[in-house]
Amino acid sequence: MIQRLLPFLTLVVLFVGLSLATPHFLTGTNLSSVVRQTAVINIMALGMTLIIVSGGIDLSVGAILAFGGLMGAMAMERGIAIPLAVLIGIVSGGFWGFTNGFLTTRLKINPFIVTLGTLGIVRGITLIVSNGLPVHQIPQNFSFLGEGSWFGVPFVLWVLVACALMVHCILEHTKLGRYAYAIGSNEVAAFYAGIPTAFYTTAVYAIGGMLTGLAGMIEASRLMTGQPTAGQGYELQAIAAVVIGGGSLRGGEGSVTGTLVGAFIMGLLSNGSDLLGISPYLQQAIIGAVIILAVAVDELRKRKMAS
Amino acid sequence: MLLRLENIQKRFGGVVALKNGELAVRAGEVHLLLGENGAGKSTMMRIVAGMMAPDGGRILWRGEPVRFRRPADAARQGIAMVHQESLLAPHLSVAENIFLGREDTGPLGWVKRRRMQERAERVIAEHRFPLHAEWRVERLSPAGKQLVEICRAVESGSSLLIFDEPTSSLSAAESEEVFRIVRTLRDRGMAVIYITHRLEELRAIGDRVTVLRDGETVYTGLLAETTTDGIIRHMVGREVSSIYQRHTLAPGEVRLEVRKLSRPPLFEGVSLSIRAGEIVGLAGLVGAGRTELCRAIFGVDPPASGEVFVNGRRVIIRSPREAVAAGLALIPEDRQRAGLATGLPVAHNITMANLDAISRWGFLNAAAEREITYAFIEKLRIRAESPKQIAGRLSGGTQQKVAIAKWIARGARIFLFDEPARGIDVGAKVEVFQMMDDLARSGAAILMVSSELPELLQVADRILVMRQGRITGELPGRTTQEEIMRLATLENASATGEHHA
Repeated sequence: MIQRLLPFLTLVVLFVGLSLATPHFLTGTNLSSVVRQTAVINIMALGMTLIIVSGGIDLSVGAILAFGGLMGAMAMERGIAIPLAVLIGIVSGGFWGFTNGFLTTRLKINPFIVTLGTLGIVRGITLIVSNGLPVHQIPQNFSFLGEGSWFGVPFVLWVLVACALMVHCILEHTKLGRYAYAIGSNEVAAFYAGIPTAFYTTAVYAIGGMLTGLAGMIEASRLMTGQPTAGQGYELQAIAAVVIGGGSLRGGEGSVTGTLVGAFIMGLLSNGSDLLGISPYLQQAIIGAVIILAVAVDELRKRKMAS
Repeated sequence: MLLRLENIQKRFGGVVALKNGELAVRAGEVHLLLGENGAGKSTMMRIVAGMMAPDGGRILWRGEPVRFRRPADAARQGIAMVHQESLLAPHLSVAENIFLGREDTGPLGWVKRRRMQERAERVIAEHRFPLHAEWRVERLSPAGKQLVEICRAVESGSSLLIFDEPTSSLSAAESEEVFRIVRTLRDRGMAVIYITHRLEELRAIGDRVTVLRDGETVYTGLLAETTTDGIIRHMVGREVSSIYQRHTLAPGEVRLEVRKLSRPPLFEGVSLSIRAGEIVGLAGLVGAGRTELCRAIFGVDPPASGEVFVNGRRVIIRSPREAVAAGLALIPEDRQRAGLATGLPVAHNITMANLDAISRWGFLNAAAEREITYAFIEKLRIRAESPKQIAGRLSGGTQQKVAIAKWIARGARIFLFDEPARGIDVGAKVEVFQMMDDLARSGAAILMVSSELPELLQVADRILVMRQGRITGELPGRTTQEEIMRLATLENASATGEHHA
């Protein structure tokens, strides 16, 4: 039990440790900046949780994030209302997620390869569409999404909570979620049980893409640009968050709470290192080590339980 | 004494796998190791083969205490193991697998491919195995893979060979071949430890027997001085009272009918029909097309031609989904791979095929799900700690019950059981058969594929026999093993052609 709670305990220890180590940590400004910084990765990671639970992986989310953000920004540039533009960002993310799912299930290609391919394709298209230039003509109000506050709490936190509840509900209380676990745990058995595995796998990728599109809009709002080069390497951070939180790349395992904890551990590590003046080079190494450590501990726990 | 185990103990976390493992094996004997699943047989043999270390006790090899830290240590002493599930490298050739880990190398670590190939061919020829040194192992059948493991053991000069349920995935003819090999090895002075679940094959092969129960050695003796009933008593630890009883009743209308179903070259022109309340056996050698037929009926690999009728209505089934919708259920032979999501809770497995009934607009009704799972766990006496227990942790028999429960929960009326009793205990076997009987009595139609002839004779109302993709005959339930084997093997047995009930 203690080991299952280990990621959470790590998060608490990290939080308390940082509060004691530096007076700059436990301040409203700093905490909301941590939330704002991690929200983007966090929301992507929620989609990634669904995908990883179903036994898949999506390496293209960084590129999809840029594509979604760019589409939304270009819509606003053409005078389309902000909520509609956000929706456009979400839908364009969903489109690529759907494409990933479709290719994986129809061509029966390993998702690692499919999304490695779409990673290049989506990034390329994003750069072509934007001519490689960021989109700046965005209404001022749009910054509210990423930088605004509501009831004294960063608005993105509300968005994050809503997304987390939604994904949690999907995983625990819907057929889609149950099938995601079943497909991830044993795709053949799921198929034999009469589950339309291709449909549900595609749905999972599409939802992942939509969440990434939303994350793209948040990123665009924080930068106040539609940046075609945004999100590079984010896919690995999203995967890392899921894995630190107990998700298994073999499928069938993972949870929303785990992923949130995973994402916040990484967020606090990077924020804490900034506050403590640890070089960003070393930060990367620390986060890398934490990923390996987290998974090693989790494997140890599983092996103990199995025997 | 070649090998002696004294008071071997092994625990995994809180679970005691072995508490007093005793075993004594002489050169030139076939020593049968028996016991129910979880009795500690495989653990004991893994310890002997150096795959795990014991927590206590002594291992004496040729009278000397030994300690194996890894499989290579045991191999060096001449101990080899043929595993239940092949531990070969599928992408490598037969020869490369035979020499895996003890490659013939030149001064620079250069592998002498040609010489290994020749030595492999020599061993294969010596035993008249249907193998070639250059074949890739992934192409081989389970039987072929075992032969490779045997070659590996012989070629490395082993003096003790351990077989872990070698015949569990083999047909009768292939099993005979394994017996022949085992006897030859024994006659050359090799010691063989043989783990099996098939009590009917004991006499065909064994010299002495050791029975394990709950991690303890409870009996050891000469096979000639022991009755099979006595052995079962030692295995179960009580009198086996509940011998399976089939309640036959007048069959109802035809539930499943198949006309001239073909999927060349696997099977061709297969026609059969099953009535409500009937259990129809499907016998044949491995590779006769029985599993393939089930998969075709169930839409996993749709047939090339032919018709399927369910309750008299023509149906076209092109995927398991459509089969399930038509009221069919397939309990596949390979439970771990296709029958069960072993990483998920029992509850999720039970409701897996039936979520539509307990959900609305895609949202699950947790209360309804709980009700269903509790009802089935109780009704089918599924021995799980709770509905949340991970299915993979259950015993083989309990896993099979869960796999069957899934279909009963779904309300399936036509059941295709492919090797329903494979790899499960004597006691659990009876329970599974009883479940099948209950289903038949409640009006389900059942097709039962089995390579275990005694099982078929015990359970089935009538028996169809397949050979090389065709049905070669139909026999009443009270037939003999010889009669089935004749139809399953002989060329001239196809006189009766296709069969309708």
